[in-house]
Amino acid sequence: MNALKAIIRRELQEHKWGFVYLPWIVAAFMSLVIVMVYLGITEVNTENFKFSTEVFADPETVQGMNEATFDQRKAAIRAGLLVLGFPLVIALGFAILAYSLSTFFDERKDKSIIFWRSLPVSDSFTVLSKLSVALFVAPLLVIPALLFLHLVSVTAGSIFFAVSDIVPFTWAWQAYPWLDWLRVIFSLWMQALWSFPVIAWIMLTGAYARKPVVTAILPPVVIVLVEGVSLSSSVFYDSLIDRLTPWSRSSSFPKEYETLQVAEISDVPLLLGMNEFWIGIGLGAIFVFLTIYFRSKSDYASVE
Amino acid sequence: MMEANTVIKARNISKAYGDGSALSGFNLDVHSGQIMGLIGPNGAGKSTFLQAVLGLVETSGELEVLGLSPNKDRHELLSRVCSITDVAVMPRWMKVGQVLNYVDGVHPRFDISKARKILSNTNIKTSSRVRTLSRGMVVQLHLSIVMAIDAELLVLDEPTLGLDLSYRKEFYSQLIEDYFDGNKTIIISTHQVEEIEGVLSDVVFMDQGKEVMSGSIDELNQKFLELRPKAENLEKAKALNPIYIRTELGRPVYLYENADAEKLRAFGEVHPPAIADLFLAVMKKNKEGEVK
Repeated sequence: MNALKAIIRRELQEHKWGFVYLPWIVAAFMSLVIVMVYLGITEVNTENFKFSTEVFADPETVQGMNEATFDQRKAAIRAGLLVLGFPLVIALGFAILAYSLSTFFDERKDKSIIFWRSLPVSDSFTVLSKLSVALFVAPLLVIPALLFLHLVSVTAGSIFFAVSDIVPFTWAWQAYPWLDWLRVIFSLWMQALWSFPVIAWIMLTGAYARKPVVTAILPPVVIVLVEGVSLSSSVFYDSLIDRLTPWSRSSSFPKEYETLQVAEISDVPLLLGMNEFWIGIGLGAIFVFLTIYFRSKSDYASVE
Repeated sequence: MMEANTVIKARNISKAYGDGSALSGFNLDVHSGQIMGLIGPNGAGKSTFLQAVLGLVETSGELEVLGLSPNKDRHELLSRVCSITDVAVMPRWMKVGQVLNYVDGVHPRFDISKARKILSNTNIKTSSRVRTLSRGMVVQLHLSIVMAIDAELLVLDEPTLGLDLSYRKEFYSQLIEDYFDGNKTIIISTHQVEEIEGVLSDVVFMDQGKEVMSGSIDELNQKFLELRPKAENLEKAKALNPIYIRTELGRPVYLYENADAEKLRAFGEVHPPAIADLFLAVMKKNKEGEVK
């Protein structure tokens, strides 16, 4: 337990920008934009997403909000959580990919691997600990920033609604879905497990390749091209993209549940029932095994 | 089976790399309480052997360290064996305090307060980043960590390579005065023989993956003697077949193997040779033997 704690602490110290600071930077920036929108200083107006106070000038909207049931209010807040969470999850995705690429490469590059391996920590323990940082610890670290961002947005909205006499300050708070925080953690962990084969592949290239970025990208590109040219199909490409999209949005996900927004604990059987999920776990396990193998072969020559 | 106090037992150890062999049939016994020096030129196989002891490379032959197989029982071995090598580098991004906390978390035999105490006598601050330390200070940090680990065997592979003289001297004096207590065992490889001269209890001379000669310093001092003959005795001294002749301040110095000390004293000053001189003599003799 002490060793696991020590490794996780070391990983977070080394990758503090991606895992600790980045979620807060994104959350702080978005909080600022939200507050500025409610103050009427700016507005967000993109093709996919519009956010301004103009919509509340419409009497129909105001009437709709006043008549909204508890469940409708809860749904609106949940939708807000999803939208706000999106940039944070994207940032998390990039942080995990960058971590996976560098964690076994940097220790070879700076030769510190010989020092790490002179201490009584086995290669399998190190690899599995680092994997647990990518799959479980990093998603957990996004939660406080997301909580902060969501609370800022609901507070700013509530103040704006109360001051503008649209609805009372408590309108949103009464329906606030506190349990969603547990669901978000759970959902991110499921997502990490869904993307596990990609994460493990990238870690593997860091553990053995001289140029891990090239080695990580080249084989998948070659497979996509070969499959496209020889079979005129794109099964590999589609399944690769699937792994990088939310699991509940992936093409392998049962169609009848397409409207699922935030994963519920009761949705576990859905994910566990997907063959693709288990194929991914199996493939990832092979990559992890190879990562352990390559790390265990590190001697002086491999770092010089 | 190993004897109770055997720390390293190596029999017929060989290792071939693509372009040649690094070790060929190397044998060695290291016993508890010894400070064993592996001495040889670059490429002699010293590093390869020490890597094998640490379970970093696989070799053929029989190798036991503390009764364990370095490859199979690497994890257990590493809680009982420490190492400082020229190649291992402290993670440059880390702060000294973070390194100490990490080692404390993963090493059951590490005493962090002892490490802090040792460091407090140096210029290294726990708040400093490793990248801001000089090379000598990094080695000093590594030594401070190793000294705070209650290990049975310490493996030092060219530990002071690239350091200036004051750090080298400091390193070995700290090692002997503050660390070595007679129960520990140390194996050191170096090609800078002079600096560990007074430190070793035993030596192995290596060349081209093989042992050329070995023995305790006491044995070697009995077996080999150097004579600085007086000018009038030069010819007589030479007639006693020195194995090696060198010149010191313009005067010849003869090295003898298994010579009668009393007899030699009649011709001049007699001393045990310095390890460095003995090494050169043995290497030369070995080369001549090969030629013959």
